[in-house]
Amino acid sequence: MSNVDLLGRRNFIKGMGAAAGVAIATPAMAISEKADGVKWDKEVEVLIIGSGFAGLAAAIEATRKGAKDVHIFEKMSYFGGNSAINGGLFAAPGTPMQKKEGVQDSVDRMVADQMKSGRGVADEGLLRHVAEHAVEALQMTMDAGSEFHPYLQQLGGHSVARTYQTTVSCGAGITQPLYKECKRIGVKTHNRSKFEGFIIGEDGKVEGVKMREGYYFKEEDSGKVVYIRAKRGVIAATGGFAQNINLRMAQDPTLTSEVGCTNAPGATGEGMYEMFRIGAIPVHMAHIQSGPWASPDEGGFGYVSNYSIYNFPHSMAINRLTGKRFMNEIADRKTRADAELSCRDEKGEALPPILITSYKHSKKHPNTKKVIKYNVGWKFDTVEELAKHFEVPVKPLKAQIEEYNSYVKSGDDKQFGKNMTKAKDKFIEAPFTVVRLWPKVHYCQGGVQITTKAEVKDSFTGQPIKGLYAAGEVCGGVHGVSRLGSCSIPECMVMGMTAARSVMEA
Amino acid sequence: MNNKMNTALALVLGCCLALSAQARDKRDYHEMVYDSGCKSCHDQGTKTYPSDGSCLQCHDIDELAKQTARSEEDKWQNPHNNLHYGKDLPCVECHGEHAPKKPICSNCHTFKFDKHKE
Repeated sequence: MSNVDLLGRRNFIKGMGAAAGVAIATPAMAISEKADGVKWDKEVEVLIIGSGFAGLAAAIEATRKGAKDVHIFEKMSYFGGNSAINGGLFAAPGTPMQKKEGVQDSVDRMVADQMKSGRGVADEGLLRHVAEHAVEALQMTMDAGSEFHPYLQQLGGHSVARTYQTTVSCGAGITQPLYKECKRIGVKTHNRSKFEGFIIGEDGKVEGVKMREGYYFKEEDSGKVVYIRAKRGVIAATGGFAQNINLRMAQDPTLTSEVGCTNAPGATGEGMYEMFRIGAIPVHMAHIQSGPWASPDEGGFGYVSNYSIYNFPHSMAINRLTGKRFMNEIADRKTRADAELSCRDEKGEALPPILITSYKHSKKHPNTKKVIKYNVGWKFDTVEELAKHFEVPVKPLKAQIEEYNSYVKSGDDKQFGKNMTKAKDKFIEAPFTVVRLWPKVHYCQGGVQITTKAEVKDSFTGQPIKGLYAAGEVCGGVHGVSRLGSCSIPECMVMGMTAARSVMEA
Repeated sequence: MNNKMNTALALVLGCCLALSAQARDKRDYHEMVYDSGCKSCHDQGTKTYPSDGSCLQCHDIDELAKQTARSEEDKWQNPHNNLHYGKDLPCVECHGEHAPKKPICSNCHTFKFDKHKE
């Protein structure tokens, strides 16, 4: 906690007189509580807030390090957070599959890729720490029963193939095994338990938390508040804030409610707010990543996201009002997301653009079958048919297809400078598969500043706040401007494990 | 005398209206449960929701998972044993008793659940 006495504000308020005091007192009442005089309702050894990759990994590691009484508190009724619905892509250097496939990789190489993606402002120390321990985290998932595809993938921005993916192509392929492992080794899990504030000791140490048990999401008065003392420490693994429209708009005004979200509903950022309240340093809050690959025809990440990611290199994105392209389909995420948001009808209303691909090439991805089956993607035999369905002017569209195909042939996109290497010989021709595009907020690079021991730094002292650790997407500064795909799971798990080790050493 | 009768009549009518209103928010397949009283489900009192385990007094999750199993390709779309949460998702996340509810899957997917009663 800060050396500044936050509670001293009450004395100041009293001195202002009754009328002013009443008005100002309302926000002041929502403040971290001091531990002296608190009547604890229960006591636990290690207290973990959040049940995604970071929280689950922390619980397992703490138990392995000898903790006898580990508790995970989750505000939703189900466990897993965003981790249970993500793509299940796990990057790590020096893995068994890399050795088997003869891929030369290293901690240095992975860190270099991430620093480049982060535009040089990522935290090299944290990235290095994560890369150094990523194989340990991968092993933890395998020990718990996770299964991966028998091949490595090389995602955008990575210089070599280093990404594992679960056989179900989803993070649940990891969260479910980790959750079951937690149960097996005796970790206590509590759903419908919303963290509502820290309890601070005399020396500024986090002694415990205020928890609302029996909580129903969005019913803020539901359940009842209990005070839980954490003997060893509190680990905040509460995830990002992509679902908090007010906060994301404060950082980036383009992220209005019109921009959807791939996240689970609970990703609203209160855990992070509470850490700021007791002095944590906010880092990179405005670096919010939107997925330009998302679809307005399904919620969250859905099936179109992976379909689009695969097909962007050899596809053409079309503004439906003009029948023309409007962006480089493989530019960075922010550029594409903003370009998509600018697609409007005559009245200025959102008009989600379409992505046109030759079926000959899209059918190679398993999601093509799925997007068509679930009516979030379409197949057409003629340009006329396609144009009619999406109300695109036919003549300019035909001209655009012809023009784009000339770039495929020449290897030089004179319209938007797209790198045509991966589009070589992949002409846009019938039959076509088409999806609609609209960006969704996907990942918040911002959060609280932490050390390589997962300690939360205090704004005023620059020292760790005693008794408090944080791991996963709630932390800021790790990835810089842009996070590389498949680098979130290793970060969440390694820092969860690190937080557990730190709490057991404290 | 007339005032008392009017008051009594108003109360009776009020009760009838209340009953009518309640009837619209009931499930016909739970008629027998209602006959047994509110506490059949409301194991935490009627001022709050039933506990997450309340439904399991009568329903078996393993049996339900078998009943709603899907073919191999779609096996993880089984609402009672799904990819993201296995068999651990509380029943009330998809099934509302006194208010309509959609399957939680529809937040992100367009799967068909033909037998689901909103």
